[in-house]
Amino acid sequence: MLDRNRREFLKTVTAGAAGAAAVGFPHVARAQTKLTFGLWDHWVPGANDALKGIINDWAKGNNVSITIDFITSIGNKLDLTAAAEYRAGSGHDIITLGTWNPTLYKEKLEPVGDVADSLIKQYGKFQENATYLNFQEGRWVSLPAPIGSHTYPLETRMDMWKKHAGVDVQDIFPADVKKRNKGKVDGWDWKTFLAGAKKVNAAGFPVGASIAENTDSNDWLGPLFASHGSFPMDEKNNITIESDATLQTIEYLKELTKHMPKDIYGWDDAGNNRWLISGKGSAVFNPPSAWTVAKRDQPAVAAQVWHHDVPRGPKGRYRGALPFSWGIWKWSKNKQAAKDLLLFLSTKETQWKLIIASQGYDYPALPAFFTHPVWQEIEPPKGGQYNYPVRGDEKLIVAGWPAKPEFGVQVYYKWLLPTMVGKVTSGGMAPKDAVKWAAKELEGYKRS
Amino acid sequence: MALVQTASVERVRPARRGRRFRSRSVLGVLMCLPLMALIGGLVAYPFFYSIYLSMLNKRETAFVGLANFEYLLGHETFWGVLQFSFIFTFLAVFWKAVLGFILAIVIHALPVRGQRIWRGISLVPWVMPLALSSLGWWWMYEPTHSALNWTLVALGMNPKPWLSDPFWARFSVILVNVWYGTPFFMITYLAGLKSIPGELFESAEIDGAGPFQQLRYVTLPMLKNIIAITMLFSTIVTLGTFDIIRVLTRGGPRGSTHMFGTYAFELGIATGDVPLGASVSLFMFPILAVSAFFILRGIRQRASA
Amino acid sequence: MIAALETRHGRRRMTLLVCYTIILMFVVFFLFPPYWMAITSFKTNHEIEGLKGIPLIIQEGPTLTHYTSLLTETEFLVWFKNSVMVTVSVVFLSMLISVLAAYALSRLGFAGASVIGTAVFLVYLVPDSLLFIPLFKIVGFLGLLNSKWVLVLVYPTLIVPFATWLLIGYFASIPKELDEAALVDGANHWQMLVRIFLPVAVPGLIAATIFAFTVSWSGFLYPLAFIFSSDQQVLTTGTVTSLIKGDVYHWGGLMAGALLACLPPVLIYVFLMDYYISGLTAGSTKG
Repeated sequence: MLDRNRREFLKTVTAGAAGAAAVGFPHVARAQTKLTFGLWDHWVPGANDALKGIINDWAKGNNVSITIDFITSIGNKLDLTAAAEYRAGSGHDIITLGTWNPTLYKEKLEPVGDVADSLIKQYGKFQENATYLNFQEGRWVSLPAPIGSHTYPLETRMDMWKKHAGVDVQDIFPADVKKRNKGKVDGWDWKTFLAGAKKVNAAGFPVGASIAENTDSNDWLGPLFASHGSFPMDEKNNITIESDATLQTIEYLKELTKHMPKDIYGWDDAGNNRWLISGKGSAVFNPPSAWTVAKRDQPAVAAQVWHHDVPRGPKGRYRGALPFSWGIWKWSKNKQAAKDLLLFLSTKETQWKLIIASQGYDYPALPAFFTHPVWQEIEPPKGGQYNYPVRGDEKLIVAGWPAKPEFGVQVYYKWLLPTMVGKVTSGGMAPKDAVKWAAKELEGYKRS
Repeated sequence: MALVQTASVERVRPARRGRRFRSRSVLGVLMCLPLMALIGGLVAYPFFYSIYLSMLNKRETAFVGLANFEYLLGHETFWGVLQFSFIFTFLAVFWKAVLGFILAIVIHALPVRGQRIWRGISLVPWVMPLALSSLGWWWMYEPTHSALNWTLVALGMNPKPWLSDPFWARFSVILVNVWYGTPFFMITYLAGLKSIPGELFESAEIDGAGPFQQLRYVTLPMLKNIIAITMLFSTIVTLGTFDIIRVLTRGGPRGSTHMFGTYAFELGIATGDVPLGASVSLFMFPILAVSAFFILRGIRQRASA
Repeated sequence: MIAALETRHGRRRMTLLVCYTIILMFVVFFLFPPYWMAITSFKTNHEIEGLKGIPLIIQEGPTLTHYTSLLTETEFLVWFKNSVMVTVSVVFLSMLISVLAAYALSRLGFAGASVIGTAVFLVYLVPDSLLFIPLFKIVGFLGLLNSKWVLVLVYPTLIVPFATWLLIGYFASIPKELDEAALVDGANHWQMLVRIFLPVAVPGLIAATIFAFTVSWSGFLYPLAFIFSSDQQVLTTGTVTSLIKGDVYHWGGLMAGALLACLPPVLIYVFLMDYYISGLTAGSTKG
């Protein structure tokens, strides 16, 4: 009895389903689109959730089912993921690429020129260095990703610098670009910085910046060399490191490092953060992450931190930047949906929300978005992050520029600059020999 | 042994010998099949694939033969890696063996009931997942908050640049490896010590041998085999050290603590030069092959004993 | 006579004193890092980041916030479960492969046995840092990229050589006359393996199991390379990758996670150590 009932029931159900299909029951025109997205794991509490919410809303409205993985950049985890997927030929549809990954994996990346072009049309050009990393061999191999991108301004303890060095950074770089005094800004050069560093060190609060195997080292040394006119390799792949500018910069660093802690040769990316937060340090080159942790754990320190322009050199003012990118793998089955999503994420409306969620850490790839009010509002101190987006004459670069990215990545990740400098300032090598060593290394980087 | 065995079977049932022998072989191969599949698919194939990779150019578009190896040998950086890999392995294995031996002897000398707790405590470093305990060490060395330096200063000594000076950085990573590996040596030696018949010591004592003479003439000869095998196995594992260096120094300062594994990782993953990375790793192989020769010889001796 | 006894007694006390002194030094060396980790895990963030007073003790009162946030705000329990699942499977698979192979290699003298034996030991020489990049391709081919089950496949390659070697030592110690007799009595190889060989090799099996457990529980590079979704992550990589973000380290949580991850192996060793020692003893000296 029971058995029969069940059989009957099953029969009815099957018949019904078949019937519905036969008469053309209003079914969905296309199979539901599926997307998987490997996103950078944001360290700002709540930023991941905000992003997830925004993406899920979009997915619902577009009949897309989306899976998100948040992947940390620590331990090269993000790089490893890209490498694994590139080799395995499977994985996410959209993957967040670390600074230099677009060039490494461009063969298997779907060009995203249409997305980039429509953004450019609407908002104007991308940052020059974001273009440098993503636009290669005449095509956009990936799209500049604002999420996770950051730059390296100075984070200065304004109280210490005012008291011990007589420099009022808040006065030079006020929270309003119109109030800047050109003379004062121009006076903020590496020479002034060195004089100040001596004084704060004498007072027991040195400046700290790492010279080691980490990205932070590249991100302040690269700009420092550039601002003296020293570049490892030019865009035509000529080795240009053997120059007076390089020697001059090394001499400068020899002097500057005398007034820094000896530990800088062993710091990792968080070394300067801890240095500042602990209250021992008076200035570091870093995005606002150090300030954010200080605000949580040592609020008195945070209230005295002012973010502002780096010093100028004889050949200009350069600030370090580490942009991220989004790439769509060629094997993705839903490239159009992926592109739609990336476009949606890059629009001003979405960016406006995401910049708030990241508390201003994420650095827009489109300068048009610098007008976001968050950098004026974040406190303490009020206006302390106003100058995190470039307001003045700073040029954003990544160490290794202007060599072709495939060689730039070698300069960057074989730690050419920190190693060369460390050989002199910590290892006691003659500057000339260190430069010669670097030139020989660079010769090897040209291996194709 | 095997000869005797087949001979006896032959004498009893000459007719069935062939079939049994064949079915034995088939069974033997079958039983080894999972092992062979595992090793063939997940070790041998990727191993030969990485040999192939090591002979390609950076973009993996052309075959370059041994050019990558030539390139490495022409560069100072790689010689540094080679040098430190040797220094690290030699010093770490040496100290693990010495400290493990001392500890094993000392624990063995305790009353049996008391041994358990000390043995347990001594195993802690080896039991903790190395990547995580390395983080703990790193947090101890860390320049700004260093607990070690605080302790040194409290004891009236100078703080040390644990991770920022090439000498101390090398010292630091070796120390962590010794900390991690000593318990393994201790436990193997202890196992060996327990297997030495007590009468040997008694008769030595009756002959008037003091503790050091007993050590020299009884313990060491009895443990010779086990010491050799442990050291050789440890050499292999130590040469492949990865976690400690990735966590503590990432190869710094100035490349002074790079070993094969970490340098290959950096080349392959960070700079995208997989062929060169593979070449670096493969340099381990000749060194390991020499160890293998000794291990195999040791095992053959074991098998024939 | 009494004097002689006394000096002997005195010497024994001297020896013990020396022994305990040495052991104490080792204990400090061994336990200082875990102590420091434990201390950090109970400190407030404020105390960790500030640099006041003595770092070796907790000054601002112990806090459990790192533990509670680890358990409630991260997927720690998922990773824990994954680690357990992976480890149990790895141990089972590795032991199965090793037992079969060790029996075949030590007893069924067939053509190629010695080649396979040599190959197994050579596998020991290939470090995982060489293999993970070529393995990307194979893992992708198998469709196991970003699945915890990939670990069940790759970890045994690190375990089986040692386990097989250990078990061969045990099996070799069983007199060959015994299996001849069993064969004559009509037992097949399967029965022999289960009834005679495995019981004899119990200490070795336990030692090999513990080894497999340790390798699988603490593996780092393979999960780091092959797994990126949080719900597939195991303890070691999950803890590290979710508590260090960018250049922000959650020290308290990291140390808490590290200590919790250490607990299962520590417990296992406490209970099984005697077997482990006797297992190694027999395996390494017999045969």
